[in-house]
Amino acid sequence: MKAAVLREQNKPMEIEDVEISKPGPREVLVRPVAMGVCHSDLHFLNGSYPYMLPTILGHESAGIVEAVGRDVTYVKKGDHVITCLSAFCGHCDKCLTGHMSLCSSPEVSRKAEEEPRISQGGQPVHQFLNLSSFAELMLIHEHALVKIREDMPMDRAALIGCSTTTGVGAVFHTAGVEPGTKVAVIGCGGVGLAAINGAAIAGAGQIIAVDMVDSKLELAKIMGATHTINAGKVDAVGEVIELTQGGCDYTFEAIGLKATAEQAFKMLGRGGVATVIGMIPIGTNIELHGVELLAEKKIQGSNMGSNRFRVDMPRFVDFYLNGKLHLDEVISKRIKLSDINDAMEALKTGQDARHVIMMD
Amino acid sequence: MAEIEVPSEVTGTVWKIEVAVGDTVKAEDTIMILESMKMEIPVEAPAAGKITKILVSEKDGVEEDQVVAIIES
Ligand SMILES: [Zn+2]
Ligand SMILES: [Zn+2]
Repeated sequence: MKAAVLREQNKPMEIEDVEISKPGPREVLVRPVAMGVCHSDLHFLNGSYPYMLPTILGHESAGIVEAVGRDVTYVKKGDHVITCLSAFCGHCDKCLTGHMSLCSSPEVSRKAEEEPRISQGGQPVHQFLNLSSFAELMLIHEHALVKIREDMPMDRAALIGCSTTTGVGAVFHTAGVEPGTKVAVIGCGGVGLAAINGAAIAGAGQIIAVDMVDSKLELAKIMGATHTINAGKVDAVGEVIELTQGGCDYTFEAIGLKATAEQAFKMLGRGGVATVIGMIPIGTNIELHGVELLAEKKIQGSNMGSNRFRVDMPRFVDFYLNGKLHLDEVISKRIKLSDINDAMEALKTGQDARHVIMMD
Repeated sequence: MAEIEVPSEVTGTVWKIEVAVGDTVKAEDTIMILESMKMEIPVEAPAAGKITKILVSEKDGVEEDQVVAIIES
């Protein structure tokens, strides 16, 4: 099969032929139909997060089941599915207490001594986050996918596979935003826009979107932002404190920088909670003004929206189909797999919301 | 001759050790692969040299900044 192989950080990916193994007992072979190009792919491409190479990036996808392993009963050939990097084992402490996105069990991967899922000329190609979407086929654990309604368009379903779940989930699950509260979201890429949309669904009273790109702030309004701030033109923290008359109940950082994580904390009112969704590079520390803790301000991380994706994603599909979740506007361009490097370049400039790869 | 410590950048589990004591490595060669939050994260040689000690085994848990191997260069 063809796949976009990354051999060296910061180098273009090449479309190459690779071999994919047969489904093991609990594995599913999926033919992806649509794959989002996500900002976290870029973190791994540029090396701010290390990963084994060669690899095939891509982790936001929707597709059709092609074949299933001997013990798989949850899906069958032809089912429509969304994949998720939060593959859960189903029996560790985290899974059994409802925190499947924190499962760190390695059993959803193949063991080091087993034949790799993807290889090339007998050498392993490291599967990215147990998924590797930028390929004609994906061989994944049955706990890395969820079945969805067949009337859901695949390109928009793909977005639910990462950015929607990450943003909306951070609002619903990690932070637990309550109706009527004051919310600010820093960064209006795919994840930030999803957080804004989630805050609107949750019934937040005030939703302030912060970005440096005006076109993204316009999108933020469609998602439900009540106010927008261009942080390139004004002091975002001061503006948020003023608009909220004393600070937010909830803030969300959806970029992954020290400065913006610290701003998210500074935008809080008494008792507020800042949720950092962005991937801050390994080795970077963030600083807080200690006395603020006396006002019971909190800061926390969120990984993949603290999801229980088998439950959450079908609900997000329903939200889209009944008009509450705005995904049509988020897709800025539909491209081919061979255009992947251009999509990565576009992510670096930060202008476009999201490119989605459509397979023929 | 200098002894160089090879630290892990992240908390995780040792998935696969790619070198043996006595092997010669180049800077940025993969010493071992850690599994952390289901990501395969390489521990790379900070400098070229000879592996003199491997301080962990496969399936061991490692902490951030823990020294996992020693290189003599
Ligand atoms: Zn993503
Ligand atoms: Zn588990």
